[in-house]
Amino acid sequence: MGKTRIKKAVGSIWPAAITIIIALFIGAILIVISGKDPIDAYRLLFNGAFGSAHKISETLVKAIPLMIMALGISIAFKNKMWNIGADGQFTLGAIFSLSVGIYLKLPVWLLFPISFLAAFIGGALWGALAGWLKAKFNANEVITTLMLNYIATYLLTYLVYGPMMDPEGFGFPQTPLLPEGLHLGLFSAQTRIHMGIFVALALLGLVILFWKSTLGYKIELMGQGEQVSRYAGINAKRMMILVMALSGGLCGIAGWNEIYGVHYRLMTDIASGYGTLAIVIALLGNLNPVGIGVSSFFFAALLVGGNTMQRMTGIPYSIVDIIQGLVIIFVITRQAINLESVRMFFKKIGGKQHVG
Amino acid sequence: MSSYAVQMQGITKIFSNVKANDNVNFTLKKGSIHGLLGENGAGKTTLMNVLYGLYLQEQGDVFINGKREVIDSPTKAISLGIGMVHQHFMLAKPLSVVENIMLGHKSSRGMLLDTKVVEKKLKKLSEQYNLKVDPAAKIWQLSVGEQQRVEILSTIYQGAEILILDEPTAVLTPQEAQSLFGILKRMKDDGKSIILITHKLEEILSVADEVTVLRDGQLIGTKQIDDSTTKEELTRMMVGREVLFDFKQGKTKTGKMMLKIQDACANSDKRIPALRQFSLDIHEGEIIGLAGVDGNGQKELAEVITGIRPMTSGNVVLDGQNISSKSALNIIDAGIAYIPEDRHHIGLAMGFTIAKNFILKTYHKKPFARNFMLNEKEINKNAASIIKKYQIKANSKDDIVKDLSGGNQQKVILGRELSSNPKVLVAAHPTRGLDVGAMQYVRDQIMQARNSGTAVLLISADLEEILQLADRIAVIYDGQLMGILPGGSDIERIGMLMMGNKQEVVNG
Amino acid sequence: MWDDILTTGFLVSVLAATIRLATPILFTSLGAIYGQRSGILNLGLEGTMTIGAVCAFIVAFFTNSLFLGLLGAVLGGILFSVIMAWLSVTMKANQVIAGTAMTILGVGLSAFIYRAIFGIKSLPAQIESFQQIRIPLLSDIPIVGKIFFDHNLLIYFAFLLVVITWFVLEKTVFGLKIKAVGEHPRAADSKGINVAKVRYQSLMIEGAYAGLGGAFMSIAYMNSFTDSIITGRGFIAVAVVVFARWHPTRAMWGALLYGLASALQIRLQAIGAEIPNQFLLMLPYVLTIIVLIGVSKKAEFPGAYTLPYSRMER
Repeated sequence: MGKTRIKKAVGSIWPAAITIIIALFIGAILIVISGKDPIDAYRLLFNGAFGSAHKISETLVKAIPLMIMALGISIAFKNKMWNIGADGQFTLGAIFSLSVGIYLKLPVWLLFPISFLAAFIGGALWGALAGWLKAKFNANEVITTLMLNYIATYLLTYLVYGPMMDPEGFGFPQTPLLPEGLHLGLFSAQTRIHMGIFVALALLGLVILFWKSTLGYKIELMGQGEQVSRYAGINAKRMMILVMALSGGLCGIAGWNEIYGVHYRLMTDIASGYGTLAIVIALLGNLNPVGIGVSSFFFAALLVGGNTMQRMTGIPYSIVDIIQGLVIIFVITRQAINLESVRMFFKKIGGKQHVG
Repeated sequence: MSSYAVQMQGITKIFSNVKANDNVNFTLKKGSIHGLLGENGAGKTTLMNVLYGLYLQEQGDVFINGKREVIDSPTKAISLGIGMVHQHFMLAKPLSVVENIMLGHKSSRGMLLDTKVVEKKLKKLSEQYNLKVDPAAKIWQLSVGEQQRVEILSTIYQGAEILILDEPTAVLTPQEAQSLFGILKRMKDDGKSIILITHKLEEILSVADEVTVLRDGQLIGTKQIDDSTTKEELTRMMVGREVLFDFKQGKTKTGKMMLKIQDACANSDKRIPALRQFSLDIHEGEIIGLAGVDGNGQKELAEVITGIRPMTSGNVVLDGQNISSKSALNIIDAGIAYIPEDRHHIGLAMGFTIAKNFILKTYHKKPFARNFMLNEKEINKNAASIIKKYQIKANSKDDIVKDLSGGNQQKVILGRELSSNPKVLVAAHPTRGLDVGAMQYVRDQIMQARNSGTAVLLISADLEEILQLADRIAVIYDGQLMGILPGGSDIERIGMLMMGNKQEVVNG
Repeated sequence: MWDDILTTGFLVSVLAATIRLATPILFTSLGAIYGQRSGILNLGLEGTMTIGAVCAFIVAFFTNSLFLGLLGAVLGGILFSVIMAWLSVTMKANQVIAGTAMTILGVGLSAFIYRAIFGIKSLPAQIESFQQIRIPLLSDIPIVGKIFFDHNLLIYFAFLLVVITWFVLEKTVFGLKIKAVGEHPRAADSKGINVAKVRYQSLMIEGAYAGLGGAFMSIAYMNSFTDSIITGRGFIAVAVVVFARWHPTRAMWGALLYGLASALQIRLQAIGAEIPNQFLLMLPYVLTIIVLIGVSKKAEFPGAYTLPYSRMER
């Protein structure tokens, strides 16, 4: 029994591993084309992410929000709701939770859970909005969540340049700092890893359990098809909104994590593109919580190492973007290859020419 | 040699592991109508798809007018003078008749469309064969019979001398079918050679000159049709044994009224009224067969009863309880089971395992769920017992349903629906697309359900099936009940009702 | 504030800017009509436009020819779309995910290429962009002249493309093929039409148009390339196509609507209006959502929208 479990786990990871290797390989080619040394580049990349305890902790710090957002995205994706708005939901969560921390004068032990809740609510509302638009008006959720991303970004900019700006901040677009008591405890003075990592791991466990629940079954069933879920008595419209709310809520929590654990204040561009990366991670992990956990770590390494690589070699950081795009493409291709395309291909080379 | 329009020799076609055609021989004489007969899954459509270039055979040769040809695409088939009218029309609904017919043809104006030229040609052709249709009309505006005429016109326009028709009367009333046969005879007299794919014996006897019978992918035999050919003879060739027409054993007395549908009105997906004041009573322990051409409101009726579609007015009463506005989930709980006509997109979650499909409607109830968490042990136990009881052929309960055969997939649905001992069973086209063995099994299960007291509504476009199984026969046309006939009534009477001739209400 | 707005000067400049700002959306949405009509939803257009922008800029920079720059953009757009076509048509992948991948890839690749060539400097390289061409006589008509007849070549071309696109779709054999393939690919296949080929072709045309849309941004509207030069216009174009119910003239109106929102934002900011700038910046995106709300329920999507076609389906 244990053996098959292990086999299954390995089986789900090694295609992802191959995908990453191929993507890195193509990245190497690009680096060569641009006139630099790929081995040197990748060495710096690896070092930048894992070269010291400090660096590893940086990687972990980045992995936390990525993982939480990817988990949220996976819930929507399993339902075939294409939530591209993780950044916007993250931002709303950050805004809500920071506001609670700064404006509500309550004891610390109360504020922690309330701010956590506020973050969830903020993200959930932003996600549910897109879900509602789809349920009621059939508005394509890819476009609406994307538009909401931009709107959220501008909203944040407005707030930190305007009503929420720190009066003692010398005009910088940022809010006042959260009071000390509200900072998530650090593991040690040298690293930036904070208690948020427990939150992330707890969420990971929760999501694993979630798929074994009746709600999880319902969500997966809806992803199987609109007609069969209607047949099974599922209220599609209600579910759409619920799923987007859950998805957005998790992204909002990622926002809470970043504010209360890392920055302790709001600034512009706080989501900094985590959202698109989280999509890639969710897909690479095949929408499976464990796969997502592993992929988050890998991509966080790419981010952190990539910065070092750019500084030291002048290779544009955008190679990381390229690798992201390539990874998705290979993930899709890998899935498609499981279908008839492979059978057809083998039939073709097996002699008889096959029509279609 | 050249008196044969088509000769197919030793054709073998394989899909995955199944031999859809196994060393089949088929010849079509010029200027004749040749029937291709067989049950669902016998390989008729496959063979013709090979002829039309949609599939390429693994083995065997095809000769057109005496010359060996490799037909590797519909374009090639069309160039050889072969035309095909498919069972599911190949017409793009928002486009017009002319536009559909122009598709795939070179325009006389090069890159620009030559619509007016084609329209003129079409008018001439349609007069020649009495296929009246307005070239500028959009397809969605036409009736099913008219759409079929467009398909036939299209093949003639292409210059087809060899015409393949795949189950053309599946969507027609008996009377419309007669008018089609008139057209076919005219074409035959004009020298065209026609292949008629069908599983209906009546049609073979009334219009074909010869018939070739396939069973399970193999050629059983070819016969000339004359006055001495009997239905029984053909049936034996088709099915391999005498078909038992006597399903009435074990019939219990019909019990109390279980389901009462009163003046139900509902709209289709296109917001057009599909059910108009439909009323019907179904009793415990009886099978009501609902006959009617596809698209006359059957789908909407099934969905209204099972709570998937809201009624705009009317009542549905189950065992004394008004369930008219209840949700699908409530209705499932109240004891109505539903075998939908589309097993792939509606009845099953194709990407789920067999075990997970069994709990499609019960996942939130005990014993499968406890405190919102799924109880895997119970789910697996349930799956094992249903698989055993219904003899579903699969490697394990964790097989993905998509990989099962059609018959086994239907068994999964049957197992799920019937194991809840429902009060009412709505079965829509339950044997469509199944092979003979599976068909027999499904019909048997429906009978057993009836015998144990379930009220069964059997919706089917297959009159033979209805005649075999139904205790009473109701006919639906344009969303209304046309009349109720006793079981075993003859086809003419049923056909009249299907055409829209309402009878004075007969309490069958 | 209102005194400044209700002047002819303001209105003229807003309307002229509307036409200018509508152009990149117009190019891309016209192209997307081909693709969507053939049944493919291409969400990678944002990436395609970015590729177009970077190709146009680099070629124009090194050859000193704006026209060669346009050619480079078209070529880049076409090649990039081939990848999307391969994913959607040959690999039969989920088009939403494929499109998202293409956008990520396109933006990243463009930034990479630009940096690889120009290095990571702080000041962006610049070129001399398309200048306005004043149509003689017509542009001297007061008010109307300034609005309609004083634009650069690309803008005139974009609006010409509206007519061309309509003509191709309605009056040519190729246009009919596209429509058939998008509505009922099996029917088209049975008539001997190569469904995959038609879809590849329509996606390549889409890529060419989108490349031009991106080129407009880097060598006509502005005169340099930055990573965020497209900022969501690729997606807005997709929404416009649905709004237009896949019809070229309505797409033009949709693009103009978007142009108006952008123009208002710029002009209102310029005259120091009292509305916080960020809310004005939100305008185009909010507008897109409103547009989608109004249109998505009634729209009759092409029959095979986002559905890959396979002959083997039984």
